[in-house]
Amino acid sequence: MSSLLRGEEMCLAQLFLQSGSAYDCISELGELGLVEFRDLNPSVTAFQRKHVNEIKKCEEMERILGYLLREVKKADISLPERDVNPVAPLPKHVMAIMEQLQRLEVELGEVTRNKEKLQRNLLELTEYTHMLRITRKFVQRTAEREPLQVQYEEFPFLEKETMMDYSSMQRLGAKLGFISGLIQRVKIEAFERMLWRVCKGYTILSYAEVEEYLENPDTGEPTKCVVFLISYWGDQIGQKVKKICDCYHCHVYPYPSSNEERNDVVEGLRTRIQDLHTVLNRTEDYLRQVLIKASESVYTWVIQVKKMKAIYYILNLCSFDVTNKCLIAEVWCPVNDIPTLRRALEEGSRKSGATVPSFVNRIPTSDTPPTLIKTNKFTSGFQNIVDAYGVGSYREVNPAPFTIITFPFLFAVMFGDLGHGVIMAVFAAWMVLCENNRKLKNTRNEIWNTFFEGRYIILMMGLFSIYTGLIYNDCFSKSLNIFGSGWSVKAMGWTKEQWENNRFLTLDPNVTGVFKGPYPLGIDPIWNLASNRLTFLNSYKMKMSVILGIIHMSFGVILSTYNYLHFRKKYNLYLVFLPELLFLLCLFGYLVFMILYKWLAFSAKDSRHAPSILIHFINMFLMQGDGLQPLYPGQTGLQIFLVVIAVLSVPVLLLGKPVYLYWLHNGSHRLGLYRGYERVRRNSEEELYLMRAHDMEEGSSHSDLSSSGENPTEEFDFADELLHQAIHTIEYCLGCVSNTASYLRLWALSLAHAQLSEVLWAMVMRVGLRMDSTLGVLFLVPVFGLFAVLTVSILLVMEGLSAFLHALRLHWVEFQNKFYGGTGVKFCPFAFSLLPSSFEHDGLL
Amino acid sequence: MPVPTKCLNMKLTFNVDHGYLEGLVRGMKAGILTSTDYHNLAQCDTLEDMKLHLQSTDYGKLLSSSEEDLTVSLVDSKLRANLVTEFSCLRSNALPPLSTFLDYITYSYMIDNVVMLITGALKQRDVAELLPRCHPLGAFDQMAAVGIARTPTELYSAILVDTPLAPFFQDAVSESNLDEMEAEILRNKLYKAYIESFHSFCKNIGGVTADIMCPVLEFEADRRTFIITVNSFGTELSGADKSALYPSCGKLYPEGLRLLAKAEDHEQVKAVANCYPEYKLIFDDPEPGADFKTLEDRFFEQEVKLNMLAFLQQFHFGVFYSYVKLKEQESRNIVWIAECVTQRQKSKIHNYIPIFPGTH
Repeated sequence: MSSLLRGEEMCLAQLFLQSGSAYDCISELGELGLVEFRDLNPSVTAFQRKHVNEIKKCEEMERILGYLLREVKKADISLPERDVNPVAPLPKHVMAIMEQLQRLEVELGEVTRNKEKLQRNLLELTEYTHMLRITRKFVQRTAEREPLQVQYEEFPFLEKETMMDYSSMQRLGAKLGFISGLIQRVKIEAFERMLWRVCKGYTILSYAEVEEYLENPDTGEPTKCVVFLISYWGDQIGQKVKKICDCYHCHVYPYPSSNEERNDVVEGLRTRIQDLHTVLNRTEDYLRQVLIKASESVYTWVIQVKKMKAIYYILNLCSFDVTNKCLIAEVWCPVNDIPTLRRALEEGSRKSGATVPSFVNRIPTSDTPPTLIKTNKFTSGFQNIVDAYGVGSYREVNPAPFTIITFPFLFAVMFGDLGHGVIMAVFAAWMVLCENNRKLKNTRNEIWNTFFEGRYIILMMGLFSIYTGLIYNDCFSKSLNIFGSGWSVKAMGWTKEQWENNRFLTLDPNVTGVFKGPYPLGIDPIWNLASNRLTFLNSYKMKMSVILGIIHMSFGVILSTYNYLHFRKKYNLYLVFLPELLFLLCLFGYLVFMILYKWLAFSAKDSRHAPSILIHFINMFLMQGDGLQPLYPGQTGLQIFLVVIAVLSVPVLLLGKPVYLYWLHNGSHRLGLYRGYERVRRNSEEELYLMRAHDMEEGSSHSDLSSSGENPTEEFDFADELLHQAIHTIEYCLGCVSNTASYLRLWALSLAHAQLSEVLWAMVMRVGLRMDSTLGVLFLVPVFGLFAVLTVSILLVMEGLSAFLHALRLHWVEFQNKFYGGTGVKFCPFAFSLLPSSFEHDGLL
Repeated sequence: MPVPTKCLNMKLTFNVDHGYLEGLVRGMKAGILTSTDYHNLAQCDTLEDMKLHLQSTDYGKLLSSSEEDLTVSLVDSKLRANLVTEFSCLRSNALPPLSTFLDYITYSYMIDNVVMLITGALKQRDVAELLPRCHPLGAFDQMAAVGIARTPTELYSAILVDTPLAPFFQDAVSESNLDEMEAEILRNKLYKAYIESFHSFCKNIGGVTADIMCPVLEFEADRRTFIITVNSFGTELSGADKSALYPSCGKLYPEGLRLLAKAEDHEQVKAVANCYPEYKLIFDDPEPGADFKTLEDRFFEQEVKLNMLAFLQQFHFGVFYSYVKLKEQESRNIVWIAECVTQRQKSKIHNYIPIFPGTH
């Protein structure tokens, strides 16, 4: 409990690690996650540190592992992500892993290269067959159309030539050439245009689309291709055509000069494609086998390499001692965990078989240690709320334990509805019960994670909402009549005519028998029928918010005493805490008193004479009020006394601390009073220090190292101190007013919530319930559906978030600014469990 | 008052169309290496060290993801590929007129690629060998066919007519055979047309874009003018020939250009530069004892300064241009440091041009 209230006591310790066993010791510490390492060579750049080569090696392995993982994923093999937690491998075993990985990489690389080559080959062959098939059509088509002379009218002669035997063309002395191949469909137009422009019409291009999608060998995407055939005239043009083909990345294949040759080629291609298919299948099978084998151990390797890399990073933070035989590391460590730390080091030394043990040495320091507050799964959510405002200064009072109750409570005041509370609590309870479900835990949906992390907060909020819902007697905007209302209509003795002629009738509690006493729990359900319900509840909720607010703030002010006492600033108790508390209680505490007094002193009988508290409160400041009936005898005197006290406490708050400190630092030199005291104290501290040093050599530890009081060499600047205190005073005094007003949000949000749920009931559910016929039952189903959806989405989620936000604000601003500094640094231990656990996070995939 | 309304409209609606990309580019600009990074890089002993250091910057695992051994050219191509990825991300999300603006950025690379391919073809190099050396930002479909052309006219009418470069050819068409000299002249003519067109495009956009981009482009035009003049010493280019190559949108226009066309040696160029305070500094003799910097480096330095100014204002396209140019300079710096590291020239390692020297 004391740890939750103040955080762990920390100390700076030196670890002396024998160079042989340092790796094992750090590995052991990493598993435990006890200590935070300090960088002892901050001036050395990353690549000049000692273990750069090892880190490079780890990175190399990570690279190979990333490659492996990508290949495994590409092959669609599921990764066995077991809950194994292998320890970091010993340095001597690293080479084995490295070799294994490299072998795998080479093997995989070869197989995939082979596979790609085969695939490319196959693609080429398929393209070639397509080309042959389609170009034959060109020839046939022109042959068919030749008599018609429909197309290619400009070059009828040439087209005819293409079908003629090539050799006969040569005999004619003209050099007709063919280039044929495939080109991506998107490029064909530009290609055609350029051909025309460059070759000035000495070419003929005919093309047709391939029906199937062919895989693009570079990107692997299926693309539409076009088969083309260019007939050209002359060698020079041929050169140009070839260049243009290159430019458009055409796949050019030789064009068979005769039909027999074409048939031969097609035949040859078919057999080759078949062969290739079998070879490709075998290669793929083999690749799969290799990958499956690799995927079994890849998870272990990834974790091992990650741990190893982390260890070397830590080793880089250590420095060598003069003899070069052992490494020195400086760590922050919770005092209570030092025995565990010592044991871990022993374990590490034992594992590595070192003859000289590694050991811990506490060293005194003037640095402020980091803040560590140990949490469990229940408190961590609330601690996170506090930490989001600011991590507590070292050993400062931590608001989190109080937040556990006040936060859900203030939330519930704004969210008071039994039904909504039950839904929320059930939802949270389900999350709590299923918290070990891996599917819920490891999801990457951020919104869901937020809810899941806060499941205990939501549970508490739900439970408290049930409570406040019972007090407000609100369940989906309806009241529950559990104990029977305390009001009786019968006793009023109304006649039938009165019933029929009046829309509104007033129950008078002064008539005997009408009011039989208060409802045992919360608001009487009869108010649900009353037309002045809102007025009644508003007055009640508003006063309640002020009372809760004043209590909450006073509690915050009282908590500040813990800080003053702990940090040995007793003068703050009289010069800061006391005026603050007096100011708050004399003004607003008195307001609370008046509210309670009015509740108790005035009953239904004399309610007509009940005074307005507001007027009395205003008159208290104006110091008049002669015309008013006093609430109690001696009211004016008490009020004047309280106002005077409150006003007097302001200058004390403003000047007390700076003047006292000024006197302490300057006046004491003259007086020589505190000097002696300080010398005594310093001497005793030195003695303590010596004692401690002595103890440390023996290996035992003292626990009050960190609480060594303020630094005597601290510079004192009066103006600075005065300015700070002035700001603080203004902030506090104005804050008391504005913060009290701020607590009225409790009332406002509670009102809004109640009204919204009532509107929802009246506009949706009541419409469905009004239908009298049998059809109404069927109609009720969609109406209820709508009601349910709106209830969850608007009232639970939206309103819940808004109430959460306001509760958060009340804690951060109104409560915590009374005592909480929040200027600490969080303790981040070196722990393997904090390394990113999924593959995606560290960029391997 | 058309211009102020346009200005205002631009500012009002800028974020609707281009706000996302501007935010993106400003985010990427935050990843530009700082002087501490350069300081650390300059301490490296091997390329492996550099790789390790670059891992801690925005480059991340860019260099470590390859299996091959690191070489300077690999570093260069990786950096270039990185820039191209970023640029294509911007380009594919851009709406007009930003898309046109981004296209204009690529045209200068296209011009360089065309000229490189022509000179390559003249030296009987294989196209397949030349293509990987082209800047990927200036890649276009018809690129490989450039070598077919024998004259600029042919180049224009056959190959480049349906590329975006076509409008820049209006002054460049000539029947003379393409040789190395002609290719260089072609480059300059194209560049002149390009930079003038870009300048008037930015002017048309108006607003802050014009305020930012015009000085940058004017500087670019003047830099080319100076470089052409300095490079033309000892060639048979006449004054008239030269003045045909000078972009006319710079600060030197018209008087400076006329004087420069007549300039015969370095001293005369310097005399012209002295009339312009911006360029006087560049041509000033270095103080004794200070590091010697080439003219090119001084121009680069000035360019970096101008480009950094672009980030001081919002709602304009200049940041895109400046980002690309600064990133390019950064690549040059890294490659320079890498070269120095591999060749063990530690003394020259500090001759890079720091970007954002004030930031840490």
